[in-house]
Amino acid sequence: MDIIESSHPQATVLALNGRLDGHASPIVTERIDSVVARGSGRLIFDLSGLEYVSSAGLRVFLTAAKKCQTGGGAAIFAGLPPSIHEVFELSGFLAVLQVQPTVAEAIGQP
Amino acid sequence: MSDSIPPPPGTPLTLVEEVLLLALDDATGDLRPMPVMGLEYSLAGALLADLALAERIDSDPQQIIVLSSEPTGDPLLDEPLATLAASTGPLPVGHWLRVLAGEAQSLENAARARLIARGILREEKRKLLWVFGIRRYPTADDRELVEVRTRLSALILGDDLPDPRDAILIGLLTASRLLNHLFPEAAIQAREGRIATLARMDLVGREVSTAVEAIVKLISSSALSLRL
Repeated sequence: MDIIESSHPQATVLALNGRLDGHASPIVTERIDSVVARGSGRLIFDLSGLEYVSSAGLRVFLTAAKKCQTGGGAAIFAGLPPSIHEVFELSGFLAVLQVQPTVAEAIGQP
Repeated sequence: MSDSIPPPPGTPLTLVEEVLLLALDDATGDLRPMPVMGLEYSLAGALLADLALAERIDSDPQQIIVLSSEPTGDPLLDEPLATLAASTGPLPVGHWLRVLAGEAQSLENAARARLIARGILREEKRKLLWVFGIRRYPTADDRELVEVRTRLSALILGDDLPDPRDAILIGLLTASRLLNHLFPEAAIQAREGRIATLARMDLVGREVSTAVEAIVKLISSSALSLRL
């Protein structure tokens, strides 16, 4: 799993590339916690390079969104490839998480 | 599986214990009505979820993957973990649910013994029709029960995001239809959509639901064909 972080005026973007499974989850969680601890407000996940997400990976996303919500911020999931979109749909994540087609739209979201 | 596995000191309830606690009528100690195999599959699902939350296994719709066979320190989880780790290849969640549901009686006994050891349940021995000895397990200390019900109620009635553990629990309680016994019918009906969304957030909960529904359908169709 490759994680690329970029900062924007009102958001931090984490681009996750590769496979998010039980082996990668602790590393991703650590990175998320570090961003949330800085209180950067909006955390955008760029998932356009995500190839696979397991149950452990989905729990990472849900926990991240919950942490952001609790801290008064928001987590937005952007650029979902069709296979990841399908997993989000099957798991009901589309109904409870903020999802945008692209990172640009997520950054521009009011 | 041993029936007398003490809980590691100071540890929170496992999902297995929580599901069993919610499956028991707190006043009478009897098991609440559930579909055939509902409790067995829910306990099996809870066990897999406990192992997942302990970061020992991971899953996707095709398979369960053992991430680490290192014991968790909790014998309730470590025995099944060793069974999963000894498997020759990755197998789907449904397979392991069937295997573990087949051993659910000993899992139930172990979880019940732990709830008694924690002081949450007490054992009552009675005679039925003055002959048959029966045992019931009413609640002795309802703090855990009140806590979990309050937590789930807030989650169902509100719109906050669930934490993954609570989402799993709602999935298991929905699959075994226990949720209907825990909350007023009007609240369940009013929040039907929300409950359905929460219940499908975790793969194990969905698989337990599929397995229980399949058994219910099979029994219904068998009963129908017997009548015909």
